[in-house]
Amino acid sequence: MKDEIVNIRNEFIAQIVDVKTSAELEELRVAYLGRNGKLTNIIKQVKTLSDDEKKEFGRLINEAKTTLVSRIEEETQRVKQNTQEKVDPTIPGKRPLIGHTHLVSQAIADITEIFSKIGFIRMRYPEVEWDWFPFEALNFAKDHPARDEWETFWVDTPVDKKYGPMLLTPHTSSGQIREMQRTKPPIRMINIAKCYRRQSDVSHTPMFHQFEGLVIDRGISIAHLKGTLDYFAKSYFGPTRKTRLRPYNFVFTEPSFEVDISCDICDGKGCKLCKEGWLEIGGSGMVHPNVLKNGGLDSKVYSGFAFGWGVERALMMRSGLKIDDLRTLYSADLRFLTQF
Amino acid sequence: MNIQILDSWLRTYLETNATPRELANTMSLSGPSFERVDKMGNDSVYDIEVTTNRVDSMSVYGIAREALAILPQYGFKAAISPLKLAVEPSSKKSLPLTLKNDPKLCARLMGVVVENIKNWESPSWLKKRLEASGMRSLNSVVDITNYVMLEVGHPSHAFDYDLIKDHTIQVRESKKGERIVSLEDIQYVLPGGDVVFSTAEGEIFDLPGIIGTKNSVVNKNTKRVLFFLDSVDPKKIRRSSMALGIRTIAATLNEKGVDPELAKTALLRGLYLFEEICGATPMSKIYDEYSDPYRGKSISLEKEFVDKRLGISIKKETITRLLSALEFSPQWKGDSLSVGIPSFRSHDIDIPEDIVEEVARIYGYQNLPNVLMEGALPVPVFDTRFRFESNLRSTLRALGGTEILTSSLVSKNMAGKGALNLKNPLGADTEYLRVEMEPSLVSAATQNASWDTPFHLFEIANVYLPRKNALPEEVLTLAGIFSGYEYRDAKGVLEELIVNQRINHPVKLTQVGECFYYEYKISTLEENQKPPTYVPIPKYPPQVEDITLILNGKTAIGEILTALSTPKLVTMVSLLDIYENAYTFRIHYQHPEKTLSDSEVKEIREKLLASLIKDFKIKVK
Repeated sequence: MKDEIVNIRNEFIAQIVDVKTSAELEELRVAYLGRNGKLTNIIKQVKTLSDDEKKEFGRLINEAKTTLVSRIEEETQRVKQNTQEKVDPTIPGKRPLIGHTHLVSQAIADITEIFSKIGFIRMRYPEVEWDWFPFEALNFAKDHPARDEWETFWVDTPVDKKYGPMLLTPHTSSGQIREMQRTKPPIRMINIAKCYRRQSDVSHTPMFHQFEGLVIDRGISIAHLKGTLDYFAKSYFGPTRKTRLRPYNFVFTEPSFEVDISCDICDGKGCKLCKEGWLEIGGSGMVHPNVLKNGGLDSKVYSGFAFGWGVERALMMRSGLKIDDLRTLYSADLRFLTQF
Repeated sequence: MNIQILDSWLRTYLETNATPRELANTMSLSGPSFERVDKMGNDSVYDIEVTTNRVDSMSVYGIAREALAILPQYGFKAAISPLKLAVEPSSKKSLPLTLKNDPKLCARLMGVVVENIKNWESPSWLKKRLEASGMRSLNSVVDITNYVMLEVGHPSHAFDYDLIKDHTIQVRESKKGERIVSLEDIQYVLPGGDVVFSTAEGEIFDLPGIIGTKNSVVNKNTKRVLFFLDSVDPKKIRRSSMALGIRTIAATLNEKGVDPELAKTALLRGLYLFEEICGATPMSKIYDEYSDPYRGKSISLEKEFVDKRLGISIKKETITRLLSALEFSPQWKGDSLSVGIPSFRSHDIDIPEDIVEEVARIYGYQNLPNVLMEGALPVPVFDTRFRFESNLRSTLRALGGTEILTSSLVSKNMAGKGALNLKNPLGADTEYLRVEMEPSLVSAATQNASWDTPFHLFEIANVYLPRKNALPEEVLTLAGIFSGYEYRDAKGVLEELIVNQRINHPVKLTQVGECFYYEYKISTLEENQKPPTYVPIPKYPPQVEDITLILNGKTAIGEILTALSTPKLVTMVSLLDIYENAYTFRIHYQHPEKTLSDSEVKEIREKLLASLIKDFKIKVK
């Protein structure tokens, strides 16, 4: 009987190592400790033994039983991990709810970051202004079309003796004079703000955003303007993009330029979406001496450049988004807003 | 202004080995913008945008002249051939014409009379050129006036010589209310101050520079044609043309200041065509009223100025070559440059910067380097609020908020009391500058009524508070609205925002219909932002226990929370659960220097509960 007990124990230990699932473990338990289990049957025989034998085998049986029970307990943990239900990787996750910042805010953050790297300070100026800042001081003739009632929103208030009528800023360039009033050169300013023009159609909203850069210092050249705009284009649109200047005419810059960025769809070869491989992004130029003068700066000492581009346009050009009606941007439709 | 011209027409005067596409690409880089090149049979049509300051380029010949300067810079050959002009007719046996000009209104008047129009039909080559430029062929006489305008760049007109009473043209300003009937048979009432041609008796028979009138224009019975050019004050042209809504090509050119010097070329070119195409004969000398011809103009600057603006040093010979190609007359004295300006550029070249532009664009902007600025950085600005604003935005997003950008321009009933209004709104729904955000946010929530889950919209924008005799105060405001949220959930979002951003400010929500609305001045939030503080991590664990209190329904939870937090050793109290009127609070007891024993906690608790029972008539469960 002694051998029998030892054999049962050893046999059990050998078998339990191979057990993989909890069902197998249970099977094994029943085979040894169940009502007709191997060890149970030995235990049943104990009562037929003499007292001495009982003493001798009882100890052995107890030891064996303890071993079996504790091994089963140990293995239960291992087997549990083994047999844990397999994860179905195709099951959808439970997504925690987060919200959405507006596309235009995202673009403004990106633009701000790029210019801050090359020393530009972001500033804020009035969105409701006097005529002097966006027009008169920027060299606009009295009868310039931008100053008529068809292009600019005029506020119904008395005219200021010094600064003229009140209006909603039609461009961010009004910040140029404000910045020259605020501080002396070196000036590296970026103004990203709401602008208003009297137009509303699929590609125009009466309220929109521009970003204006202004640099004034001694010896600022067209090469600096090119370098800055190229830095921006490569940072915002991608390192392979190129920029170019074309002659243009704005009253507050001399010379003035249109700035183009190479088209990424056709890689500059020319396609339906661009003009011969180039996309127009906006205007720029060297600050007109009259503007410097109106800002209280001596154009013999200082020169500068400026550019003012549409945030929405830059955003569309970068993202490749085709928003068929730009007015959607300023609607509160969650079906639109939650896409970004 | 955009002009359309045929490639073959341009090549009548411009000889080059550049293909239409090459021509378009190079011209765009240094001159007028060639926006499109469209095939038209064997020919091509260019659509060219010419900036308003360059009326001298708004013609076939003007473009050819620019190309002559630009193309060689890109390695193409370019040569220009002269316009074919008529020989100036002799002054003998001239039909009479009296010009009574006012030089303040009209810088130049020029005319010649032709007779014997044999051919009233234009040849097909001429029709084709006009049509490619977007003009319809009418008859050879009118076609020639349009052709000359497109080719030379100076508008012209054809009168029936015999319809001009006494063969006298009186230039004067109109009186308000005078009427004209255009050649298209439309009647216009003049606003007054318009430059008109009239008879000695005062009858108007032309609105020069803008549109011809029916009572003097050539017609099928015309025997003798007065081919005429005038240089009316561009400001007057703009004013009348805009006021009357007559936007002819002639008016859009003339309002930009067409060079009066060009009139003679245009006249002789027209006369040549009358002879060639119509078989007509000149019957008069050339009449010319021109009291103040162009006397020349020059701009002085230093070489250093050009170099500094360009960012590179350019040789004097190069500057001379580039400017000469544009028909400028550069002269050096040492490093000082004096540039003579041709008449056709006298309007747009005024200051040394203009010369820099001419040098730079012909040299090629692409040939200038891309350089970032050296030199000192601007003085930093610390209080611009942008970072704070951006942190609010990203925290609200993390808390499930969706940012909206709505128009600052709203209708009167959405703007708030005393809002500023526009003089020229696009419509009643965008007439006012809002002084409050709530109606905009409520409207935004309403628009999303069919959204099937709870949502939170927020916006950061200015409101515009009017001030007397000053610009409005622009108050940057954070406003938001919760729809479908339980009150506690909505309030929790704001509490988390405030706590997360370390702002010491109460949270307030107002109920609007089914929604909860909030609004803060950004400046107020920012002013109440505390710097981060460090509290040492406790060495000993807190004792945590939950207590359930039965409230009588009249007590505000806030008061209970405040009371529960009173003991010094209570470090945290939170509302864990509500069941009917039973409120379960979780309380942290903590001593900084030791672990509290059960009996110590018991002592605090019993004292605390006793005072709560006394003050709020509550029961402890």
